Amino acid sequence: MKPLIALLLLVSFSVLADGNKELLTFESEEQRRLYAQLTAELRCPQCQNQNIADSNAVVAVDMREKTHELVQQGYSRQQVLDYMIDRYGNFVHYQPPLNRITIWLWLLPALVLLALFLFQLKRRAGQTALRYRSDQSAEPAPSAAKAELEQQLDNIIDRYRSNKP
Amino acid sequence: MRKGLFYIPLVLFLGLSLFLLSGLFSDPRERDSAIIGKPLPAFSLPDLMNPQQQWTPESLKGETFLLNVWGIWCPTCNAELGYMSQLRNEQGVRIIGLYYVLPEDPMFGEVFDLATLQKDVQSRLQSFGDPYQFNILDRNRRLSMDLGVSGAPEHFIVDADGIVRAHHIGDINPQVWRSKLAPIYQQWAAKP
Repeated sequence: MKPLIALLLLVSFSVLADGNKELLTFESEEQRRLYAQLTAELRCPQCQNQNIADSNAVVAVDMREKTHELVQQGYSRQQVLDYMIDRYGNFVHYQPPLNRITIWLWLLPALVLLALFLFQLKRRAGQTALRYRSDQSAEPAPSAAKAELEQQLDNIIDRYRSNKP
Repeated sequence: MRKGLFYIPLVLFLGLSLFLLSGLFSDPRERDSAIIGKPLPAFSLPDLMNPQQQWTPESLKGETFLLNVWGIWCPTCNAELGYMSQLRNEQGVRIIGLYYVLPEDPMFGEVFDLATLQKDVQSRLQSFGDPYQFNILDRNRRLSMDLGVSGAPEHFIVDADGIVRAHHIGDINPQVWRSKLAPIYQQWAAKP
């Protein structure tokens, strides 16, 4: 029984100890919110893919303390971010800045979308033109007729090729 | 035209494969350093073995050196002591240690004791090799944070004017030294 009580005491004290360690004081509710926001969006440089609020690496603890200190001194969000980016590079912020390289993250999907749209538009135009021509009873212009004949010839060749074993 | 379109998925697939393949060989710890090309941040820190002596960026100027962030608590740092001693003895590389003190947890009865630390460091250096001219004690890791250190071991090459020229995260082994750090070190050490 005694060891059990000792163990229980030990566990309860260690929980107390842990709770005490991270109790931070702030002058205003605004500062507390800023601190919570900053520690959530700053990235731990040691244990990758964790923010400094989640990580217990030495450097994350130090960065939390520093963030707290700077927030207490009245630094704004951007000033604290600049302070950290000055030391750890853009890596340390989960929102990368817009620059020559990162601009492609935004541009590329838009360009692909545009290209697909144009491609589809062109195909549509080609199909309607073809239908329009076959509907006409009048003789199409000689050059268009030639192109169409060539197209048919291409189709026949394609069909023969795909039939080959 | 239609024959050309046929190859687009293949090209896209090959491009994606190459991109992902290159990811297999990249080092995820590798990140851009914010300090390269900048002077050492301001500091005034004591010598580890001789605390009366204070080191500042000014007092380090004059010769290119390799700044090694390390601690005896870090196994990788201990493992590289041997090779770095070899660099010091055989190639005359000037290596200065920046001792990275882990935070103590008073709840576990841990207190910072300089005399004990000095003794531990000395015995460690005796058994693994001592590559250092001297060690700077970064008690609260302030200088380490200003340098953008995320852990130990990390290395910086600082030129004679006190400008940081290289930042290497991780250990120094023969391959890293030869392919990455030696060219930079020699380039700046050779400058008059």
